[in-house]
Amino acid sequence: MMAFSTWDIIRNLLLATRWTIALSLAAFIGGGLLGFLILVLRIIPSRAAGLAARAYIEIFQGTPLLMQLFLAFFAPALFGMNVPAWVAAFCALTAWSAAFLAEIWRGCVQAVPLGQWEAGASLGLSYAAQLRHIVLPQALRLAIAPTVGFMVQVVKGTALTSIIGFVELSKAGSIITNATFAPFTVYGCVALIYFALCWPISFGSRWLEGKLNVAHHAH
Amino acid sequence: MITRRYFSQILAASFGTAAALTAATPAFAGALADIMKSGTIKIAVPQDFPPFGSVGADMQPQGYDIDMARLIASKMGLTLDLVPVTSENRIPFLQTHKVDIVISSLGKTPDRAKVIDFSDEYAPYVSGIFGPPSVLVSTPADLAGKTIGVTRGALEDLEVTKIAPPSAIINRYGDNQSTIAAFLSGQVQLIGTASAVASAIIARHPPVLPGLKITLKNSPCYIGLNKNEPDLMAKLNSIIATAKKDGSLNAISLKWLQTPLPAGF
Repeated sequence: MMAFSTWDIIRNLLLATRWTIALSLAAFIGGGLLGFLILVLRIIPSRAAGLAARAYIEIFQGTPLLMQLFLAFFAPALFGMNVPAWVAAFCALTAWSAAFLAEIWRGCVQAVPLGQWEAGASLGLSYAAQLRHIVLPQALRLAIAPTVGFMVQVVKGTALTSIIGFVELSKAGSIITNATFAPFTVYGCVALIYFALCWPISFGSRWLEGKLNVAHHAH
Repeated sequence: MITRRYFSQILAASFGTAAALTAATPAFAGALADIMKSGTIKIAVPQDFPPFGSVGADMQPQGYDIDMARLIASKMGLTLDLVPVTSENRIPFLQTHKVDIVISSLGKTPDRAKVIDFSDEYAPYVSGIFGPPSVLVSTPADLAGKTIGVTRGALEDLEVTKIAPPSAIINRYGDNQSTIAAFLSGQVQLIGTASAVASAIIARHPPVLPGLKITLKNSPCYIGLNKNEPDLMAKLNSIIATAKKDGSLNAISLKWLQTPLPAGF
């Protein structure tokens, strides 16, 4: 049996980290775009759009990500469609993070006082212009902290994709542990790599918050 | 972790039922012909269960099950596509035809036999209670007051629970590697597992050596395939029979289990 050196362990974990990063980025970007669309549907003054957006959010927040991944990968195969694992993972992670981001951002939009909307209206701005120029810039600043908090969750959530065959950081850790029987070394490295991924995100958020607040004070 | 594992097992079970209801269509009846036509056989193998399947330093699968998969593919003259699976998703992979067969140290249980078929046995699998020489145990009664680690829901869990006296402490862990970690770190005195797993542990020269104390059960491994595939079944069984006769299966056993196949296998 081939032996693992410490360098082999670290090298293989880092190679697997590429999947964790790729899946996280896909979930941020795909989820961010879809989430924004759902946010707009959720807040525009249309009953039907609001109901549709709420139903979407309830379904994806109310069911486990693990089950969504499982269904996205295996259910189409029942009908003869062979979905590659990365497509299933991208769709499920996007749909799941969109639901959470839409709801987080709705809170931020609603935290902007109603008077701001009314002030916009009294200037003769259309609904879209009020949203675009008055409300969203203020909501954006509020949104940074909770969005980043959720991004950190997404990074850790990618570990669930091992159910459909992805060997990302957590799965690589458990596979290597089974080959080396050295759980402390392996999981210690896994934890350090997750920290190295998540800490800069948190740090970046604090920096961004400070920067946007400065812009606000300059008004 | 434990919750997640259990959830997915339940999910896999319920999903499996749904798959059995919808996917058992005659379109797949000619599985062998389809596989031969495609020129490639997709085989599900474990990657977290040494010595049946683990990874080398290059992260490529290796082990008894992987060599068995290579043997099958070469005898059929097909290109081999190894698909690493876990114990939770191996049956859904088979039922949704993402793989053609499963060679993943699969034991035959009545529940599994409801949804998939099994070939003849291709690997011995003896489970037992193992421990270091300092722990004196040779009969189930000796387990009184001892701590035993097992993987929850595994065959060893069921067997140990049956034979252990009430004063024995059975600690159940979420997966194979946690059980091994508990034994190696001294959280339990004894470990209930497969003899092959115990040999894989010994091969790495840990400070506590798991020697056989009590044999629990003999439950060999089978190749799993979808129901209603008689041609494929016949082909697999003839390959297994030949491999038993010409010594190639014995060579795999010597390589990974460090023992020849048991007599009469």
